[in-house]
Amino acid sequence: MNVGVAHSEVNPNTRVMNSRGIWLTYLLLTIVLHIVLLSIPFISVPLVWTLTNVIHNLAMYLFLHTVKGTPFETPDQGKARLLTHWEQIDYGVQFTSSRKFLTISPIVLYILASFYTKYDATHFLINTGSLLSVLIPKLPQFHGVRIFGINKY
Amino acid sequence: NMASGQQWVLVEMVQAFYEAPAYHLILEGILILWIIRLVFSKTYKLHETSKLTEKEKEDLIEEWQPEPLVSKDHPSLSYDVVTGPPSHKIIINGKECINFASFNFLGLLDNERVKVSALASLKKYGVGTCGPRGFYGTFDVHLELETHLAKFMKTEEAIIYSYGFATIASAIPAYSKRGDIIFVDEAACFSIQKGLQASRSLIKYFKHNDMEDLERLLKEQELEDHKNPRKARVTRKFIVVEGLYINTADICPLPKLVKLKYKYKVRIFLEESMSFGVLGEHGRGVTEHFGINIEDIDLISANMENAVASIGGFCCGRSFVIDHQRLSGQGYCFSASLPPMLAAAAIEALSIMEEDPDIFTVLREKCKHVYKALEGTPGLKLVGVPFAPALHLQLERSLGSRDADMQLLRTIVDHCLERRVALTLARYLEKDERFLPPPR
Repeated sequence: MNVGVAHSEVNPNTRVMNSRGIWLTYLLLTIVLHIVLLSIPFISVPLVWTLTNVIHNLAMYLFLHTVKGTPFETPDQGKARLLTHWEQIDYGVQFTSSRKFLTISPIVLYILASFYTKYDATHFLINTGSLLSVLIPKLPQFHGVRIFGINKY
Repeated sequence: NMASGQQWVLVEMVQAFYEAPAYHLILEGILILWIIRLVFSKTYKLHETSKLTEKEKEDLIEEWQPEPLVSKDHPSLSYDVVTGPPSHKIIINGKECINFASFNFLGLLDNERVKVSALASLKKYGVGTCGPRGFYGTFDVHLELETHLAKFMKTEEAIIYSYGFATIASAIPAYSKRGDIIFVDEAACFSIQKGLQASRSLIKYFKHNDMEDLERLLKEQELEDHKNPRKARVTRKFIVVEGLYINTADICPLPKLVKLKYKYKVRIFLEESMSFGVLGEHGRGVTEHFGINIEDIDLISANMENAVASIGGFCCGRSFVIDHQRLSGQGYCFSASLPPMLAAAAIEALSIMEEDPDIFTVLREKCKHVYKALEGTPGLKLVGVPFAPALHLQLERSLGSRDADMQLLRTIVDHCLERRVALTLARYLEKDERFLPPPR
């Protein structure tokens, strides 16, 4: 699906992650976030990396795993009303390229953050917790599952 | 200096890596393995279509044996031919009969003023509009008709559809989606049933006009909502009823329904195809009949194919509610708009209804007269209320099977036709009706 081009998707959310340039945009946004944080004086480099990681994962958790439904009205009588964006991607098919990309990117960011925080224990705890919050909901086993009814309706 | 400073930082980082705690490295190792597994495992693609070979295509074409669209002995193939406009008299198979078989309640179908107005519009605009309302299909007469309808019904706004059946069938799914709940009367007409089906909502039927049964369902739902308030917050609830039921020719107990609406916080959709232009002092329908404030009803829908004697339908209510359909009513968005001459005819018909409210009194008197005359016909049960403009005659005792009953009723209709009285059988899509009404 490409923006500004006629499409016949019932729910454009399903294909938006396959649009041209959207992965690049996502990477650029993350880098811009990091640079902005780096440019703030008096914040040490390890702290900036942890902040980048935590903010990135928070945003990912919010947009991919919290917000349900679609921002537009779909002609399918609200089929995706109770589905998060992650569950809508590629009609729910697992192990597609968009899904793999979005799974790998937070891991890479985590490894980089670990390296730049010199494997410090406090940073480790924060970064790992934040990583798990975006990795666990991505597991195929948790597709459509709401642990303890969190975010069910 | 700068260069050595950076080098020092890097050395320090690499050193940190060597001194990193084992648990951290193990976790990273697992994560890296995960990445490797993802990268090298099969990537699933969407829309993997299998291509047929030429031979397979040929085989499929060869295999296909077309069936006739209609079997030769289908009952629909024997029909009566109507010539001329069906007004008080109707010409069936060349024979002039008294018309008891059409929904032209106010006799506006053959009205001279309506005809003149429609003809003038035809000369001005031609026949079709060649587009949906949102896509070059809006003409001044459409806007005029909507304003006129809103004024007539004393509501904020009205919206017109090009086909009566599609009106309520589009309006229901515009508001009620998957996960929502609709409480509906068992006797609801076929277009309501199609709307319910298209909405994909949870449908709960209550017994015809049985407010206790409805209240029982609403109480059940209230308990459920109490148990799961989070779910209740995102669930819309509707009651769908007809003003005057086409299947039973009686009216809904609207005052009780409005009470239940406020008690259990549900919305009411009222389908008035049979009661609009019939009930009430000014023909505004069942709300006027009961003296109910029209703002207590969330949505009123009616078709203009009965009393108004045009084509199409309309919904009216508060602007906030009605306006939603301009982008969400599938029948409004995706079908060509009402031909301007039919809109002009409807405007003229509304004007006549406004100018002379006595026609409704006359209609009611006639209805009561017919009811009295039909009451107590031996062997036949009269179904309906005395002021209903359309009544059902049912067999008092069934012959045992639906087919036999239908056959007997058909004989009665044919017999009446011979005596120059046109009646008609109620026809249902027997397999598709949720609660199939008895033969009548």
